[in-house]
Amino acid sequence: MYPKWLWPVFAVPGVLWLILLFLVPFYAVIGVAFGGIDPIFMNPVPSWNPADWQYDSMIATLKGFLPGNSYWTVLVRTTIYVALALAGSLAIGYPVAYYISRHAKRSKGVLLALLVLPFWVSYMMRMLAWVNLFSPNGYINKFLVWTHLVTTPPDWLNGNPTSVVLGLIYGYVPYLILPLLAALDRIDRSVLEAARDLGASPAEAFYHVTLPLSKPGILGASVIIALPMFGDYYTPNIVSGSPKTTMLGNQIDIYFHGGPQPSVGASLTMLLSLFLAVLMAYYMITIARAQKELQA
Amino acid sequence: MNNRDSRIERILGHFRRGDLSRREALRALGAVGLIAGAGRLLDFQAIADEAGKQAGPGGIPLSRPDKPVTLPLNGSPIASGMQPESGTFQIFNYQDYVDQKSVIDTFAKKYNVEVQLTTFDTMDQAITRLASGAVDIDATNITPDRIAQAVAGKLLAPLNHDYIPNLKNAFKSAQNPFYDQGAQYTVPYNLYSTGIGWRNDKIKEDISKRDNPWSVFWDPKTKDYTGYTGILDDPRESLGMAMLYKGFTDLNTEDPDEIEKALADLKAAVPISNPKVNITEYKDLAEGTTWMHQSWSGDLLGAAIFYMPEGTKPDVLSFWWPGKGKGAVQGDAWALLAKSKKPVLGHLWLNHLLDHEVAYNNFTTFTGYQPAQPIDADQLIKDGILPANLKNLILTEEDLGPGSLQYCQLTAKGTALWQNAYARFSSGA
Repeated sequence: MYPKWLWPVFAVPGVLWLILLFLVPFYAVIGVAFGGIDPIFMNPVPSWNPADWQYDSMIATLKGFLPGNSYWTVLVRTTIYVALALAGSLAIGYPVAYYISRHAKRSKGVLLALLVLPFWVSYMMRMLAWVNLFSPNGYINKFLVWTHLVTTPPDWLNGNPTSVVLGLIYGYVPYLILPLLAALDRIDRSVLEAARDLGASPAEAFYHVTLPLSKPGILGASVIIALPMFGDYYTPNIVSGSPKTTMLGNQIDIYFHGGPQPSVGASLTMLLSLFLAVLMAYYMITIARAQKELQA
Repeated sequence: MNNRDSRIERILGHFRRGDLSRREALRALGAVGLIAGAGRLLDFQAIADEAGKQAGPGGIPLSRPDKPVTLPLNGSPIASGMQPESGTFQIFNYQDYVDQKSVIDTFAKKYNVEVQLTTFDTMDQAITRLASGAVDIDATNITPDRIAQAVAGKLLAPLNHDYIPNLKNAFKSAQNPFYDQGAQYTVPYNLYSTGIGWRNDKIKEDISKRDNPWSVFWDPKTKDYTGYTGILDDPRESLGMAMLYKGFTDLNTEDPDEIEKALADLKAAVPISNPKVNITEYKDLAEGTTWMHQSWSGDLLGAAIFYMPEGTKPDVLSFWWPGKGKGAVQGDAWALLAKSKKPVLGHLWLNHLLDHEVAYNNFTTFTGYQPAQPIDADQLIKDGILPANLKNLILTEEDLGPGSLQYCQLTAKGTALWQNAYARFSSGA
């Protein structure tokens, strides 16, 4: 018989990690959002006591998100880019994960290793490689011209939203495939066999059994990549660098990069977190519902 | 005034009278939970705009090329004739902005010390790290717009010029700069102008021959360059370019209407020339991925000297800047930290940087940025370092001093106005 306290102790490192590396820094961001600045150096001076919070900066930032105001366009653009990149990632990632889970057999280990391969190279380096490939005289354009698919090389890297969305897909798709693969692997094969025994075609079995059962996995993997995509600023910087493709992360970067308004950067960060918390809540509710359905 | 404000005012009163240091004032405010309210008062009232005069941090007047400022002395300089200290000497600088071989190693060898270089990405980051004590530094690179701030925060030590005889090598106006009259805290390092750099093999037009060369970014006739253009990723430089385009030369304006006009003009350039916004023109122009870019002269020099791909000659690069009083000339400096345990060595480091041979080698073999010293452009051309068509990259004494334009320090309110305008430009809204 183990003492009652034993198993909760295993959670201590995780809880400490959460407190030290998430809760405390996040409260610091809140403190900066509602705080002041050092009058000499213009560094942020966090306000730790909620009684001393100043709300001017947060209110002004909130107003900026109203239609027609300064952050509205960039919020809409960011949401569209993330939605498209998510759809693209799923279109690429789901078949890959499905194939590895269901049909890879002996090559599964090799394919998994190949999936992990992009993590060996830093995200920044992979994006910079794209810049070379898609530059005006890069291999992609040379190939397109050589094959007569185009007569004038496309301008991939100058404010082209397609490049930013493709960049996001390229950067984040491995992070989607792995959790999706784990979710697909967990689906009980006997359920699929039962569907087939009851006369479902392979396509029907997929549509009526595999897909609904993989919904929590799809949602989970989507959340994992959507959250960092919303805060991403280096992908548009590297593959575009144009005001036409700026994302919300770039706006946060401007205010945190220097100047007397770190509270605006912190307010933007908080509001983005709030927006993402709504998405996260939807994910949690869906998972809870799915579990209830399974138990029923 | 309520009780809370009166408590803040009382502490600020002590701070203004000099009874409390900045740190002590902040600590006192923090102890009674009033720092946020004080930040508001200090930010826009107590410090930034005293008696209607534009003043910077600590009440130090904002310096301008035509309004030089003598900074208040923080203590006394070290005595003359002392021996340099031993041990590890710590310097703080941008990455790739001082040559290891011709500058750092020669200094280390000369004074038999070890030199440790710590780098920063931006001047904001540098000031933050210095102010918080996160780094233990003896000498730092610093831009003129942050010097008063560093002096007000008591970060810098006053200099004894007996240790810095090479100051005479600098341009005369740089020996006595407007932002630090008498060079009490700083010595000049490098200089650069802001203009347009372009690839003359891609762009057939000589942009410098236009009545207003800035107009090239707003000219629908130049649609062939669309997508191959760029402007500097810098709030002051980008909005400043829009001001100069319209002939407005008060680059330190805090007039919201003027900043709004510049923002509207800058936004108007986006659908026409589709510029990238970055500071990588030194390699993009050299590689030909960008054909025309708002450029710092130092970056064009760097491109010509170091970044041209094999088989491409540097004379494919061209540069134009508007000239004194019409375009910006910027520079940076070096200073000694007040907390330095090696002040003598620090002085000798500043002197070393001003040595003409050291400065010239640093420029021509590493940074590409011209030192604030007379440079013989003809000799550079003769030596094959610089193509003849880029002679205008080299600045002379005549380009500096009163009447020149420079992006200088603003009040916190003014900085916020520029920053907000730039954020709106950057958002593409």
